[in-house]
Parts: sequence; structure tokens; C-alpha cells
Amino acid sequence: MKKNRVAIALIAAVPLLLAGCAATAPAASTSTATTLSYGLWDANQAPAYTQCAADFHKANPKITVKVEQLGWDDYWSKITTGFVSGSNYDVFTSHLSQFPQFMLNKQILPLDSYIKADGVDLKAYQPGLAELWKGSDGKQYGLPKDFDTIALFYNKQLTDAAGLSADQLANLKWNPDNGGTYEAAIAHLTVDKNGHRGDEAGFDKNNVATYGIWMENSGGGDGQTQWSFLAATTGWKSTNGVWGNKYNYNDPKFQKTIDWWQSLVGKGYMPSFEAQTGIGWSDQLAAGKVAIASNGSWMTGAVFGAKSATFTPALAPTPTGPNGKRASMFNGLADNIWAGTKHPAEAWKWVKYLGSLACQSVVAKAGVVFPAIPAATDAAVASFKAKGIDVSPFTIQVKDKTTFLYPITDHRSDVNALITPAMEAVMSGKAKASSLSAVNTQINALFK
Amino acid sequence: MAVTARKGSQFRAAVLFLIPASIGFVVFFAWPAVRGLFLSFTDYNLLRPPVFVGFENYIKIWSDPVFWNSLRVTLEYVVINVGVQTAAALVLAVLMQRFTRTMVVRGVIMLPYLIANVIVALVWYWLADYNLGIINAALDFFGIHKIGFFGNQNIAMVTIAMVNVWRHLGYTSLLLFAGLQAIPRDVYEAAEVDGAGEWRVFRSVTLPLLRPVLAFVLVVTVVGSFQVFDTIAVTTKGGPVDATRAINYYIYQRAFERLDFGYASALAVILMIILAGVALLQNKLLRANESDLER
Amino acid sequence: MAILALKTTRRARSTSLESDPALAKSKVSIFFGRLALLIVILITLFPIYWMFRTAFSNNRAMFGEPLNLLPVDFTFGPLRRVLGLSTTAEALAEGGSGASINFAQYMLNSIMTCTLITVLQVTFSAMAAYAFALLNWRGRDKVFSVFLIALMVPGIFTLLPNFILVKDAGLLNTIVGIALPSMFMTPFAIFFLRQFFLGVNRSIIEAAVIDGANLWRIFRTIVVPLAWPQIITLAILQFIQYWNDYLWPFLIGQTEQSKLLTVGLGIFKSQTPQGNPDWAGLMAGALVSAVPIFILLLVFGRRIVGSIQSSGVK
Repeated sequence: MKKNRVAIALIAAVPLLLAGCAATAPAASTSTATTLSYGLWDANQAPAYTQCAADFHKANPKITVKVEQLGWDDYWSKITTGFVSGSNYDVFTSHLSQFPQFMLNKQILPLDSYIKADGVDLKAYQPGLAELWKGSDGKQYGLPKDFDTIALFYNKQLTDAAGLSADQLANLKWNPDNGGTYEAAIAHLTVDKNGHRGDEAGFDKNNVATYGIWMENSGGGDGQTQWSFLAATTGWKSTNGVWGNKYNYNDPKFQKTIDWWQSLVGKGYMPSFEAQTGIGWSDQLAAGKVAIASNGSWMTGAVFGAKSATFTPALAPTPTGPNGKRASMFNGLADNIWAGTKHPAEAWKWVKYLGSLACQSVVAKAGVVFPAIPAATDAAVASFKAKGIDVSPFTIQVKDKTTFLYPITDHRSDVNALITPAMEAVMSGKAKASSLSAVNTQINALFK
Repeated sequence: MAVTARKGSQFRAAVLFLIPASIGFVVFFAWPAVRGLFLSFTDYNLLRPPVFVGFENYIKIWSDPVFWNSLRVTLEYVVINVGVQTAAALVLAVLMQRFTRTMVVRGVIMLPYLIANVIVALVWYWLADYNLGIINAALDFFGIHKIGFFGNQNIAMVTIAMVNVWRHLGYTSLLLFAGLQAIPRDVYEAAEVDGAGEWRVFRSVTLPLLRPVLAFVLVVTVVGSFQVFDTIAVTTKGGPVDATRAINYYIYQRAFERLDFGYASALAVILMIILAGVALLQNKLLRANESDLER
Repeated sequence: MAILALKTTRRARSTSLESDPALAKSKVSIFFGRLALLIVILITLFPIYWMFRTAFSNNRAMFGEPLNLLPVDFTFGPLRRVLGLSTTAEALAEGGSGASINFAQYMLNSIMTCTLITVLQVTFSAMAAYAFALLNWRGRDKVFSVFLIALMVPGIFTLLPNFILVKDAGLLNTIVGIALPSMFMTPFAIFFLRQFFLGVNRSIIEAAVIDGANLWRIFRTIVVPLAWPQIITLAILQFIQYWNDYLWPFLIGQTEQSKLLTVGLGIFKSQTPQGNPDWAGLMAGALVSAVPIFILLLVFGRRIVGSIQSSGVK
């Protein structure tokens, strides 16, 4: 029968295919020319880094850098599989949520000897950023490439309608007792189906058309974009320092902040946990379902790109708190070198170039993120301005030195796995913030 | 089985027929499973060599509330998903067999299966969004209270089960339809002569003769449902709280997010044992290999 | 039961479609039956229509009008993005990513990979199912049970070892590497076919054996033709499944010559750490990638319909 002959031919062909592929698999690498693979996850930044790679190749003709971009989830699947199987990017953009695991398991190279030999100055970067990439062993694993801070994104058409000026929004005050002018503004921006505002008589909190502020899930263990900028103004610190061994979710200052934040749900100013699960905050903001959303500088391009007839995006800094100051988590990326790379010297050259003013100026020109070198940061601010975006609400935190660092500790993913469901229970109104003390005990037990 | 065995074993022929499948079985299923069993007795974080720890992982699992909860929510999912899907698919297959001969119906009901399940999950995540989804907008329009399909702890797992029913309904009914086709036409003629009504035809002709295929479908869907993963990963990621942290998703989180591969392997071994038990039980209860035609 | 007494007549019938006795005759039953089918079809189609609506909407304006049943600000932009016809600047302006895909090449890769897997897997599984259903040998049912356990091996056990195996075989970035773990068999395929082979009338086989036919010829000329509709059904289902597979082909095939369509479309998913996908591009991509299998279903679907007459399988 004909069909079977086809099948048999295919079976017979398999070994040939296997042999053919095996023969071509090992890439022909000559002793002189080197190709490095470089990974990143942000599509918006890929063009800038491709440009950096081209410039780098011009200066170092023997080294070619292949830039590969993958979406966030795929990116980390690929890197984890790459570690296990022994084939990975030579250099990759790293995130602080992953860095401790990579460092503790010796999957990335320390850079100290290179830094010393080439005389790289870690003070050239915005203060604090280099510290983020210092391992618990005291060694430096990355050169800062960029940073991010938090601000309030809002829809200017809604704030204008509510009679709130940009100036008022830039000078909001918050406290955990009654929420201050921050809560007052949020209440005023909330509108129910009948057009009553949140601070007016007859407001129907069960039928809200536009929320004052968005809840972007519970914030998990760091609350980077949700509550960290509030809690920090009360003097609360999430851990006992960089590479600490003690978390402070049992601190009354923290729990009071969370209880206040959660109270906005009951008042109808913020969507319930149930109502916020689903399509992300930036689409909700663009759709006019919410007036304000706190988030990070990396979202600037996406939010301002969504401008439409009913959505005029604008930015305000986070409110000042009980200590009279603002606060924002300070987070930054760096490039790590995979410990298994066959070309560590060339990889370092590329990392050094990524951390240099030359490359960071190219990145600045793209106007997507804030590069880590101050001169390049200023250039990026100018690029944003050229696009009509005033990003000073983000940079003011750096200027005023009101930033605090992302909490880095060992067991980071275990901490998140424990605290996230507990925070979700609090934010869905199933438990009080005081319930977090018990979880905190469990978390601190991880370090014993 | 009524095997009227001919003299002499066909063992040698059987071996030859089984060679290719056996290669696949040993290399891509059996060996990884044995390796997984070994890793379940180790402390292994993927990045450093495994260290043997005996039964420690299993002991920890015994007192892990997240594990017990994951079993509970997985079971909830399996019951809803398999129950609704099988019943609906059975009805649909019979409807297709008895009321239409057009390809259009069969083509249309297969459409959801043509779309990758990650995309299906995203589409429903949007349709059912509290603020921007058309389902809630419609409910609101009719004055009914909005429903947090993915955000309500009591509803989220039901929603996920129903999303997967939507995607797999056509698939399952096609499997059952294949079984219906194998039923000899003449029994229907006989039923007609007897003047049997729709329900009686279904009960005394279709259902008994369909049993082997139905049993097969049940085993496959139950085993598949226990391993629900994609829909959860794309939508709720295990939340709210732990409401949708199904066992397979928990295993994944332990292995790849928390790099606790030894513990995850132990969880996976337990899942395997549960599945083997369920399949065995189903096979016994449904006498999967026989239809009533045989007796 | 009287009805079942008739089972002995098992001659092959060539009933025409119109007079198929399986069709209901009562007008009332037909009305309600068809009504129920209509409802199922509507529920099935609405979300798919929604994908179409999204695929032709402007990503920026879409969320402003959740209740609009028509495409918002109708545009071919998402489709052009998916097919790599728009420039990076255009794509970014519409809320997409700058990435584009080499559609024709990836589709070819997908067709080749899925065909390779389906043809080999169904062939080998049919052989195994034959041995499990119709051959007599000691320990047959025990061995079958062992094979069935493969149905229960969690993906987490197989993913990494299989990846390392493919890598060590030097098959990373090849179509064969993607196909390798599933081309020999799946427990599902064996289980499915065995279930139908069990129904093959043994007397036909025994007669053939007496006639001196060898077991391979019986398999080829009697068993396979009898179960052909079920084999085609299985082949279609498996083909679709591998067509939509994502994680494994993503890990193995990263070059232009080995990237599958789903992997190419993955770039429309999860663009930024906390941002939202390019909805319109994602939907356009999902629809575009479903078209080839939809055509396949239309072509081969006929075979399923045409198979009603076969009654060699009970």
C-alpha cells in the first residue's frame, strides 16, 4: 500500500536526518573571531542595544554580539534551562528578583578582578545602584545599566473634570490615619454611576464607574508599585538591610499602612481584589476606569503611547508621608556574565561597554528607560521631553535622595511564595493586616 | 475478553510490532520517570548536584498545607471540568449523530481546539474582566451584579474549569463521535422497528455500545484534568490566595520559581501515584475493554 | 434485549447518508435537537468572533469601548504586524512591539514538524495497539498497563531530561529535535487505537491466518483499513495538538529554520514585565496560525463524515 511505503521511507530517513544535523551542529569557531550571545526581555529597548552591539563591533571587529529579545516569562524559562543544560547566553540582562539565586549557585561570574584591572569607577553611576549588584559574598556581579522609580500616572482629563490642578497633584500629603490630601484627592476623583463623587453625599460605593486609584494586585513581598512608597515614609524598612536575614512584616507601621490601603476598597475608592483581577492597570487607566495608578518609570512609554481622545496621560510624584518626605523604591538592572561562557574576557569587554557612557547615551536617546550614569540620565530626561513627556516626577526622587533599595535577601522566592497569598487574603478582606505577623515568623524561620 | 486463542503464541510478532513504541516509551517516559523518582529523595535546586535526603521531602509534604489545599482545588477542578465536559460532549455527539449530517457543525465545534490554550485563556480573561469585559458589561446592563470570574475565591476555579470545557468540548465530542460511528447501523434500525423513543434509543442502544470509548475518554480527560496548568499560569497564577493553586501549578512553582526541584519531584511522584490509582479504579468500574455488544 | 439480538448481522453496509438509520425521524425531536446544536454553535463562536473583532481593532482605542461589538477604529495594522509588513515605528505607534515574524518560513517549519510527528507517531502507535489488542502473547495486558503509566508521567519529569538528551544528540535547533520525544508514540494514541482495534471482528483475522496471511499483512490490509476513520480522527487531533504546542518547541527551536509558528507568535505575548500584551497583534497572530489547520480540518474532515458506512469495527 502506498501509505505504508511513505511511512517506511520516513522511518528510513530519520537516521540520515539525525546524522546530517549532528554533523552541522557544532558551530565553526575560528580562534580569532568570537560571537557572543546577549539576552534581554524588553522589546522597547532592543533597538537601542542592537545599536550598541553594532557600535561595539566597530570598535572590536573580532567580537560580534548577537542580541536576542524574548518576552519576560520565556526569557527566564530559557535562562533556567540554559543553566541546567549548559548552553546559555554569554551575557544577559538580569533582575534583582533572580540575581540572588544565580549568585548563590555560582551561575554568574564576579567582576571584581576585571573591574580592578580595567580601573572601572563604580562611583560613576547614580549612587546606590552599584550596591544592588554586590553579592552576599561582597563581590560585584554587575555594572548598573539603568534605574527605575515610582510615580503616579493619571488621566488629566479626569483630574481636570474634578478641578484638581497638576500643582495640587504634585503636592499631595499622606498619612496612615486618615490618608491626608492624598486620600481626599482619590475620593474626589472617584465617580459612581450616577455621577456622584466619592466625597459627596449620595455616593454609591457599590456602583463605581471610575475609581480614584487602582489596586494592582496585592504587591506581594515588596509592594514596589503598590504600597512601598507609602510604607517607607512611615520609617518602615522591609528588612534589616541589604542581604539581611530578618523581614519586618510584623511591624505595626507596615500593617497600619496596609490597613489604610485596604480601607480604600471598603470606601469604594479603589477596586476590590475581585474587581482588579484581570486586564492590567494601564489598559484600565487608558479606558477611563480609573483616574490614578501608581507605577514604575518603565511603563512610561506604554502609558503615554496609549493617549487617545478620552485619555491624556500625565505624571505626578508620589505623595509626601509622615516623615515629610516622599519615597520611592530604587531598582535597577545590570548585565550578568554566565559562569559557563567560553569567552569570559570578551564577555567582560561587552559588559564594560554596556556600562559605559557611550552605550548608555545611545540608550538615553531612545527615551525608554533612565540610564545609570548621571550624564546619560539627563540625556534620557531630554529625550522624554522631546516626546512631550515630563519625567521629573520620577527623577525628583533621585535628586532629593528619597529613594530606598529593593529588598535583596536570600530565599527571596520562598519569601514571596509565603507572603503573596497572605497579602491577597488581606487585600480581599478575608484577614486583617495583623495576620501578617504570623507569616513573618514563618519567613524569618527560613533564615535560621 | 472473549479471546478464542489460536494455538501458539504470537510473542515474536508482538515484540517486532512494539519495537518503535518501546523505544519512545523507555527513553522519553520511563527513564525520566525513574530519574524523577530518584530526585524526589534528594535536595536538588537544579543548579547544584542533588544531595540524597531520604524521605525528608515526603515528610515535609505531609505537613504542607499548600499541598493539601492544592489537592482539594485540583479535585474541584477535575470534578467540574470532567463532569460538565463529558456530559455536554456526550449530548453533543449524540445530537450530531442523530440530527445532522453536515460537516459545518463538526467543523465549528472543533474551532476552539484549533486555538492554542494560552490564547484561549487570554481571550476569556478579557471577556470575563470585571471592568472591561463584555460579559460583566452585559450583566450590569441587565441590572445583575457583576461577577469576579477570576478574582473571586469561590468562583475562580469554576471559571477556569469552564474555560477549558469551552476549548475541549468539540475535541471530546469528536472522540465520542468516533465511537458512535463504530456502532453498527442495524441496531438503530431495530430500535426504529421497536418504536423506541429518543431517550430509550440513547439509554439502551447508544450508551451501552459507546461504553468502551466513553471509558477511554473518561480516563484520558480525568488524567489530563489533574494536570491542569496553562490556563492557570496565564490567568490567576494560583490566586486569589490559593484558590487556583492546582497541584501541577504548585509543582511548577516549586521547581522553577523556588528552584526546589527535589521537593517538586516528590510532589510529582505523589501526583503520579494518585493518577495511576484513579485510572485503575476507572478501568475496573467501567470495564473499559468491553462493550455490551460482546456479551 | 430484542434490539441487541440483531447484532449478529455484521455485513458491510453502504447506506447512503440520507437514509442513515442513526438519524432521528420525529419532527419534534429534530426541532429541539437542532435548536440545541444552534445554541452550542453560538456559544462556541462568540469568543472566536471576539478574536476577529480584536484582530482588526486599534490596540490604543480598543479598551475605551468594551461594549462595541464591531472592531474599534478598524485597521489591518495588527495583521500587517503579524505578517511583518509594517515597520518598527508603525508597530510601536499602534501599541505593538517592533518584532516581526518570518511567517512563511515558520509555517513551513510547523507543517514539516507536525507532519513528521503525526505520521510516525500514529504509525508506530497503531503497530503497538495492534500488538496489544489483537495478538496473543503472555503478559500482554500487563505490558499494556505499564505503557499506560506513561500517560501519568508529569511534564516536569520529562522536560529537562528530554532537553538535555536532544542537546547531547546535537539536535538543538532542528525539526527532528522538536519531533523526537513524541514521534515514537504517545500513550494516548496507543490507548485510543487499541480501544478500536479491540472491536475488530476476530473471525476475519483468524480466517486470514488460516489463509496463510502473515501478521504484518493482516495489520496492513485488514486492521488498518477497518479502523481508518478512527486513525484519521486521531491523526487530526494529534496534528492540531502539536501545532499549538509552545514550551517544548520554544526551548528546542530558536533558529529561522527551526522556529515554529507558535514560537514566532510568542513575541506578541508578555512583552514587558508588568505590561499587557499587544492584544490586537496576539489575536491576529492566533487567527493566522489557526487558518492552516482549519483548512486541514476541512479537507480531512470529509473523511470522518465519509466513514459512517464502515461497520467492520463494531
